[in-house]
Amino acid sequence: MSRWRSIWLVARREVLERGRSRGFILSMVFTTLIVAGSFILPSVLFGDEAATRIGVVQPEPAGLGLAITTTAAQLDQEVEIVPLADAAAGEAGLADGSIAAAVNVPADLSGPGSIRFDEEPDSFVTQLVTAAVVALRTQAVLLEAGVSQGDLLAAQQAPAVDAVDPQTDADGGRFLFANIGAVLVLVGVFSFGFTVLTGVVEEKQSRVVEVVLSTVRAKDLLIGKVLGIGILGLGQLALFMAAALGAAAVTDQFVLPETTPTAIVLLAVWFMLGYILYSTALGSLGALASRMEEASNASTPVTVVAMVSYFVAILAVTNDPAGPVAQVATYFPPSAPFVVPLRAAFDAIGPVEILLSIAVTLAAIWGLFSIGARVYAGAVLQSAGRMKIRDAWRSGGE
Amino acid sequence: MLEVNDLAKRYGQVVALDGATFTARAGRIVGFLGPNGAGKTTTMRCIFGLARPDRGDVRWNGQPVDREARLRFGYMPEQRGLYPRMRVGEQLSYFAQQHGLSGTDANAATARWLDRMGLGDRSKSKLEELSHGNQQRVQLAAALAHDPELLVLDEPFSGLDPIGIATMTEVVTERARAGVGVVLSSHQLDLVEDVCEDVVIIARGRIVAAGAIDELKERSGRRHLEVEVVGSGSAWLDGDATLTVLQRTGDRVKLLVPNDVDLDALLARARAAGEVRTFAYQPPRLSEIFMEAVTPADSPVVEAAR
Repeated sequence: MSRWRSIWLVARREVLERGRSRGFILSMVFTTLIVAGSFILPSVLFGDEAATRIGVVQPEPAGLGLAITTTAAQLDQEVEIVPLADAAAGEAGLADGSIAAAVNVPADLSGPGSIRFDEEPDSFVTQLVTAAVVALRTQAVLLEAGVSQGDLLAAQQAPAVDAVDPQTDADGGRFLFANIGAVLVLVGVFSFGFTVLTGVVEEKQSRVVEVVLSTVRAKDLLIGKVLGIGILGLGQLALFMAAALGAAAVTDQFVLPETTPTAIVLLAVWFMLGYILYSTALGSLGALASRMEEASNASTPVTVVAMVSYFVAILAVTNDPAGPVAQVATYFPPSAPFVVPLRAAFDAIGPVEILLSIAVTLAAIWGLFSIGARVYAGAVLQSAGRMKIRDAWRSGGE
Repeated sequence: MLEVNDLAKRYGQVVALDGATFTARAGRIVGFLGPNGAGKTTTMRCIFGLARPDRGDVRWNGQPVDREARLRFGYMPEQRGLYPRMRVGEQLSYFAQQHGLSGTDANAATARWLDRMGLGDRSKSKLEELSHGNQQRVQLAAALAHDPELLVLDEPFSGLDPIGIATMTEVVTERARAGVGVVLSSHQLDLVEDVCEDVVIIARGRIVAAGAIDELKERSGRRHLEVEVVGSGSAWLDGDATLTVLQRTGDRVKLLVPNDVDLDALLARARAAGEVRTFAYQPPRLSEIFMEAVTPADSPVVEAAR
């Protein structure tokens, strides 16, 4: 029987056994809901905010309604002006909640008038109406004093607004994409890498490993395990991406960058590279332990490296995607899986750099696997307590 | 035929195997005996490539055992182990496929063996839901489902109730009749005497005795002699240093005697003491051969035999 069939059988067992477990399915559904929800919720809560209704008692000064809505539009807020027959209608409107405020200003602008609220004055409405009233009254005074209409308009011109590096909607999508990518790689490393770790310890603890290894090579068992759990991980990643993209499309929240398909492929590639790198390390270290608690301790160094890499990626690299930290982290295998998709999302990395980084990471995986598989083979059959890496290395090489 | 040639293995300062050599033929059941720590499990692990010997090799039909050959072996390790949360049927099918069976063949073999073990209705149960005895049956089925040519069972009877032992014995005997070579280790020597045709006795990493049980008994330097002389007790024996009294019950004495003892002279002495009602000369039990074989030459054999 070929080695590949043997590896495939191991991988298939992992997919079937874990993929069917209630825990896995529940966590999958739950996390997908969170991913989709994090897109849909904000738009439900803040997306279609109703216009603020402001009642204005008639007769009103000429241009008051227009002044209020114009100012509101500048502040990116929607306001609807509701004409009120008299002050009593305003009181009634406030009482039944059909208007947020009742504005009563003398039509001849002889006084500042009043703004009434139902319970609590709203500072936004207050400022909005105050600005409009003050502007109208100042204008009236100035016109009376003989200031020309033209000068007045010139004086009321707003300052020009500009940005050094204007953010477009696509940039927003890009930023989000980059961060979600980094989180997903982290999830891949932690949730699926640790599944490999626990799987190795369980096999060792239940002693089934001796039966398995009477026909399967230790190295092949590790490959099959990493592969099978990786397939589940990739499936979950696909589901998350579909949920995220679907939710984003439905809510129309972000303009997806044109590079989205490339970014997704890149994310999948790095998800797998990161997962394989870390799970190989975790699997080999897991073999050293004979109980779960020992395995968690043994895996601490790997966990720390993954966390540090993640934070370097989302803090330093996001801040300066083409800076020196980002450059170095691109060719450091433990951090590359977090950094490269992030830089790519910001369009701050070229294809040559990406390929080079993939090559470096693959080489690291190969090296780690050569060491890890030997440690695994040496340790996985020893059931007496926690083993030292050096002893496992020695006995694995026999 | 399985040939174990000059296996040696050290774990640090501990010598596990020190030149162990023996053979196991097709269709024969070999009892692999030895005190704890003698090297039985290490030998079995070497057969399955789970431990690599420092010296020597294992051959199957004249060829060094490799992975291809091991696919036709069945193994029941001393420390039992299967996947606790995997369904019994899928589990057996998985192991059969790992031994090279196609999915269809593996499923058919699984169904056959589960029925044979009386577990036909438990195929969909998780292993951990089964009783200890039934888990042992599944473990045996896992070693058998791919129809191996060689069966290596490490302590197959340990932890089994009499019914489990009967099933195990029956299955193993049947497989041997079908031409399968069987090597099994056990401390239950009476059971081994009933089940096995050949024994290999290992002590301190070396094979100290090997062969057909009957031949070993024949070759043994000792015999059992049971004598009953009416009314004389065992007084007629006193003073003979070549005889060892194992048991005295009234007039009946059980003796351990050298195989070259002068039976005629002994019988004459007994007759002189009184009426001889029993005079039975028998080969030793396997347990005595075992003790004789594993006891270092410089320590008193007879003391140990008691």
